[in-house]
Formats: sequence, C-alpha cells, structure tokens
Amino acid sequence: MRSNAKSRRSSPSQPLRTKRALRWLLALIALVCLGGCAMQAVQPWQRGRLARWDMRWDPDPLQAAMNQHAYFSKEGTSGEIGAAGGGCGCN
Amino acid sequence: MRPSPSLSLLIAASAALTGTNAVRADETASEQYVGYRFNIYGEDALSAPSLGDPRRYEVYSQQFLLNSPVGDRNTLSVNATHEVMSGSSPWYVIPGPDNRPIQVLSGATIRDHRSAATVALTHDAGGNDTRTFSASYSQERDYHSTALGAERTLPLSSALTLGFGGSFSHDRIEPFAAVLYDRIQRAEKNTASAFASLSLVLDRVSVAESGVQIDYQSGYLSDPYKLVFVDGTLDPDTRPHRRGEIAWLVRYRRAVNDSAALHLDTRLAANSWGQHSLTLEASWYQNLRDGWQLVPGVRYYSQSRARFYAPFFAAGSGPDFSSDYRLGAFGAAAVNLNLRKRIGHWELSAGAERYHASTGYTIGGASAADPAVVSYTRVFAGLDYHFD
Repeated sequence: MRSNAKSRRSSPSQPLRTKRALRWLLALIALVCLGGCAMQAVQPWQRGRLARWDMRWDPDPLQAAMNQHAYFSKEGTSGEIGAAGGGCGCN
Repeated sequence: MRPSPSLSLLIAASAALTGTNAVRADETASEQYVGYRFNIYGEDALSAPSLGDPRRYEVYSQQFLLNSPVGDRNTLSVNATHEVMSGSSPWYVIPGPDNRPIQVLSGATIRDHRSAATVALTHDAGGNDTRTFSASYSQERDYHSTALGAERTLPLSSALTLGFGGSFSHDRIEPFAAVLYDRIQRAEKNTASAFASLSLVLDRVSVAESGVQIDYQSGYLSDPYKLVFVDGTLDPDTRPHRRGEIAWLVRYRRAVNDSAALHLDTRLAANSWGQHSLTLEASWYQNLRDGWQLVPGVRYYSQSRARFYAPFFAAGSGPDFSSDYRLGAFGAAAVNLNLRKRIGHWELSAGAERYHASTGYTIGGASAADPAVVSYTRVFAGLDYHFD
C-alpha cells in the first residue's frame, strides 16, 4: 500500500498514463500496418497458404461464439465486429 | 496543433492502408459441415469479503452448428445454443470496517435456462462479393431478444476487400419476483449497430483487417436484480437510458510455415458512460503429424470505470448509480489451450481456458477496489463432421 501511494505521487495522473499507453499502442499498430504495406501484388496461385483453414479470422466459429459470450457477460465493453446475435440477460 | 509522433504514424498507416491495392482472405467458405460443442463454465469463489450464498455461478452449454450450401451460390448457417445456469450472483455492496467494500451475494440460488438460435444466409455474387442476412432469437424465463442483421463483403481490388453492415436487436425483460422485491415489472431496450472493415492481403503469407463498429442502445439499460447502497439505504441499480459505443479492431494472420499460423487481435473501445477498454489476443495454430493440431492462446483485457460506478455511494449521489463490477475498472488475463484431431471426415476437439480478473491488472490502476470481479475456468469438448 505504501509503495503504491508513493508511485502514485511520483507518476503522472491515471488518465494521462492511460492516454500514453493508448498512444503507444496506436503507434505500434501503425508500424505493423506500414510494414505490411511495403509489399508486392500477390497472385492467385501464390495464395495457397492464405487459403488454409488456420488462416481464417475465426477458424472455429462455435468456439469463437462461446468465447465472446463468456467475455461479453463478464466485461463492460467487450465485443466483436459484426451483426448482433440474440442478446442475453447476462449483461 | 502539431500531431504527436504516434498520431503521425497512425495517419500515415491509414493513408497507406486505403491507398494500396489490396483482398480479404477467404472466410466465407461454402463447405458443408455440422459441429457440436459442450462447455462447462465455473466461477471461482470471491477472494474479497462477501456475505450470502457462496455457491458461484456455473453454466453448462451445448452448441450446434450446421453449415450447408444451398444451390450454387448460397450458404445456409444454423447455430443453436442451449445453456443451463445456476449459482449466486453479486447483489449489492456494503461498506465494511474502514470503508472496505463487502460484496453481498444473492441469497437464493438462481437456476435458469437459455435457448438461442441464429439463422444466416450468405449469397455469393461471385469474385468474393457476398451478402449475408441473419436473424437471431434468444429466450430465458425472464429475457427475450430478437435481432436482424445484414452485411456485405465487396472486393475493391485484388488485395483489398471492404466489409460493411448493420444490425438491430430488440430485448425485453420481465424480472422474477418483481412485486416481492419491488423490481420493474417489464422493460425493453433496443440496440442498433453499424460496422465497416478493410481486409488486406499483405503478402503471400499474411493478411490484416481493420474495422470500426458503432453501437447505440436505448431503453432500460439497468440491471433489475442489482441494488446500490446509498447512504444506508438500498436503491435500484439506475443507469442512463442511452449508451453509445465505438470500437476499433485490428486483426492479423500470418502463416509462419506450412504447419503453423500466428493470430494477433487487438481492440480499442470507448462508450458514452465514460468507459474505455483495450483487448489484446494472440494464438498459435500448430499443425502436428497424423491430423493433430495444438492451439495455445493468451488474452489481456483492461477497462476503465463508468462515471456513475462506485462500490457504494454517499447521500446526494445520482441520479445514476451502479455497483455492478462490470462497470468498474479492472483487468483480466486469460490463457487457453485447444487440441484438435482430424480422423477422416470427423474432427474431435477439446480445450480449456483459465480467466483471472483483478483490479490490479487495470491499465493506469483502479481507483476503487471491487470485491466482485470474476475469475473462472472453462473446459470444452466438441465433434465436427465435414461432408467434403
């Protein structure tokens, strides 16, 4: 408790720290996107690996649905991108 | 004002993303298969002080999925879920010695069932141009939800695919024992969502997707089963009647070699109740010999608190207040492992997940300890049959 109080006094405020963390995350994502954009066109016959089952966004849709259901019921702002399914009284 | 270095990088990346001739990895494969999953979910006992029934929540779930081509260009997907839930739930929080929060759990053990189904029809217009229409229904003894959705994927070039869509859901709640506990007897809420994404083939072995989703909820958004301690009295959980939320998702898939793939997902979200969150996920799909596959994964989640959240309140608080831990600040770390085995047309799967939540995991720290943050363990097993 004492060390927590000390670190709070000497460090920036919580919203500022959160903003900084988010900025660094955005910068990291930007770097990944930039790196990926230095690329050559991929021809259809070169996409064998991309067509693999394990390269899908959600290889196991049943498991993905159950994962999201568990997270959604326990967390305030979690979710996926896509059309809504039937909601529940869990959240 | 000059943008910060991180913002400059983001702007540059956005420009590069939209200006590149890019395609979405094949996702809507029209394969024919059926799948079944059985899940057991069990919550840990609360580690913080609590009163009431100590039996925590357990859920037994069964899922069924049928995916089948209909004609040359359509695919029908039918997904059904049945759950049996029991256990005690967080009810309200009272101040203990030194104002330390004590969680009071629901005295009676709740037992309920949920049945849900989703039907989706995807039409492939050719060249990766697909339109999907879906309808969902979910029912519990005290809760009914109906949803309709539509989405489209549209190739913009050989490497870039646009996805967009929207959905609308209508929920109705009729709480148990409403008169006995002075709860609202019937209430409704609506949710409208819109989303758009860009999928990009980066090279021969990697793809990425970036998308945005906006949700707007209106109606009764409170929890009728929760109470709030306000200066010695217990009042109903009371939240605003509207909530807007925006989320940004980035996903990345990379085939590391002929036998493994790396999955990375991140999501940032913020809502009009003052909450923002970060989710990071990573999975490794390792194909082994003789049809075996091992999939370990990790997940981290952190959220800030809603502006009207506190474990308990002083006089004069309000008009909105809630002690639901899901509106508080906390973080969660999870690890999971999934093992699969293909035998001819059959595929067996089994796995487990350990999810541990704590206010100490919150980015930036949590201002108030919440005694009800939930940790759980989940195990699952399944069986799929592929017709082709």
